[in-house]
Amino acid sequence: MNAAVVDVMKNGAHTLPAAHHDAGLMSGLADDVQRETGFENFGIPFCMTVEAESLGSSVDYGTIKCEPKIGKESFPSVRDVEFRPKRAIEKNKRARAIVDAISTLSQKYPDIPTIGAITGPLSTSASIVDPMTFLKELRRGKNDAHRVLDYVCNQLIDYAGLMIEGGADVISIADPTATGEILGPLMFGEYAVPYLNQLADAIHKLGIPVIIHICGNVKTVRKGLAMLHGDALSVDAMVSLGTLKSEISGLTTMGNLSTYMLEFGDEEKVRSGVRSLLGQNIDIMAPACGLSTSTPIRNIRAFTLAVKEGL
Amino acid sequence: MTDMTKEELHRGLADAVVNMDEATSARLSEEAVERRYDAFEAIDHGLAKGMETAGRLFEEEEYFVPELLMCADALNAGVDILKPHIKRGKQDIRCKIVIGVISGDTHDIGKNLVKLMLSSSGFEVVDLGRDVPPQSFVDRAVEEGAGIIMISSLMTTTMEGMWEVVRMLEERGLRDRIKVAVGGGPVSQGFADKIGADGYSPNANHAVRLAAELAATLA
Repeated sequence: MNAAVVDVMKNGAHTLPAAHHDAGLMSGLADDVQRETGFENFGIPFCMTVEAESLGSSVDYGTIKCEPKIGKESFPSVRDVEFRPKRAIEKNKRARAIVDAISTLSQKYPDIPTIGAITGPLSTSASIVDPMTFLKELRRGKNDAHRVLDYVCNQLIDYAGLMIEGGADVISIADPTATGEILGPLMFGEYAVPYLNQLADAIHKLGIPVIIHICGNVKTVRKGLAMLHGDALSVDAMVSLGTLKSEISGLTTMGNLSTYMLEFGDEEKVRSGVRSLLGQNIDIMAPACGLSTSTPIRNIRAFTLAVKEGL
Repeated sequence: MTDMTKEELHRGLADAVVNMDEATSARLSEEAVERRYDAFEAIDHGLAKGMETAGRLFEEEEYFVPELLMCADALNAGVDILKPHIKRGKQDIRCKIVIGVISGDTHDIGKNLVKLMLSSSGFEVVDLGRDVPPQSFVDRAVEEGAGIIMISSLMTTTMEGMWEVVRMLEERGLRDRIKVAVGGGPVSQGFADKIGADGYSPNANHAVRLAAELAATLA
């Protein structure tokens, strides 16, 4: 989850979009973010496009205020996907910068966890194939869709391995396309759960824990969520983590202070939001989704401080 | 050719859309043409009715995005065949709508769903695509004589741009003539009120009702 808000970059030492490309700037920015926000970990990269870029799509790197986005998906249909050789993501310069930045941070700060963030299999697939066609092909081109997902998932496994070799302590998988709101329960079960689990299992084999973030409302996909192999489940603000915890036994919950509140609310609202979350016995307190880059630093500080005081 | 009354054929077309069946939609549309059934009626009472049902199923969470997109393909397979046979003047365009995803954002699944639901409900939709600057919404709405601007965003970062559109309309004195509706993941009724938009829609099916309401205030 990108926490590189504009407020943190104001001093101008390490800024985006340049830091998306350069290991030194990236680790420097992660360092700034950690220090100024009070989050208890480093989280990189600051984008969700490097995986798709490595597998063929073009990316617009955005600005200091705006995250990178897919310019054009490279393939019109799952049938057209050109399968690149194994370890394709490693060949991307930005991916190498991310891994180098992870190494720098984990060596410099062995006591602060470095989280490597990966875009999940469905989201990456829907970023290399035109997403409207892709979604239809989940129904009418099942074999080819599964082949693409398996290919993407294996590439992500290699990439996660690289991050872990570099020193990542945790891998966080965010898969915004794998939301119940888009897929519904059947497709979530058929496409989201197995590939997220394939990825999580491979990461577990390397001895590293996994956070899985699922966007949007999860009410139609509760069964699927219970089948996920992540060590912690992070969800969006509209989901009651307290309820989810009572429904899925043994679930480690992460979240879910509204990013909207963090951007538009004030410090007092943030504190009262934290109080309500603390009351639900959430295991890992975090923003509910990616922070808006315009989120004021004072609100993020109020959040991390309130959590620490509450503990 | 089967022995179908006009009503049966309409029902068949509606079912083909709901069942995501492009081939049947095309076959029955051809049959409607061969039998010289009114093409506009076949769309309006058949295909569009099916899409209405699909939209309702989507709102009720029976159907999800892949299903709705496939229903739309079945609808379009029929519309492509029937449209050239519509008698001129018959098609009743309700209101022109300019739609797009605000700049900074390239997530356009939601916008595309809204667009297809609006088109199948008789609105003329001008799609500006994704990553659209606020200025372009205003300029194109003026150029096209559109009554409604619909803006979508999936990222909180980009919601500011929606505000910008409302402000630009105010500055140019167009606020009474052009209605603004917003939607997308992080957007809420509260946000719509805050920026002075005329409406908010939580999903593609609701967007059609909202557009109809807004269009009525323009008339």
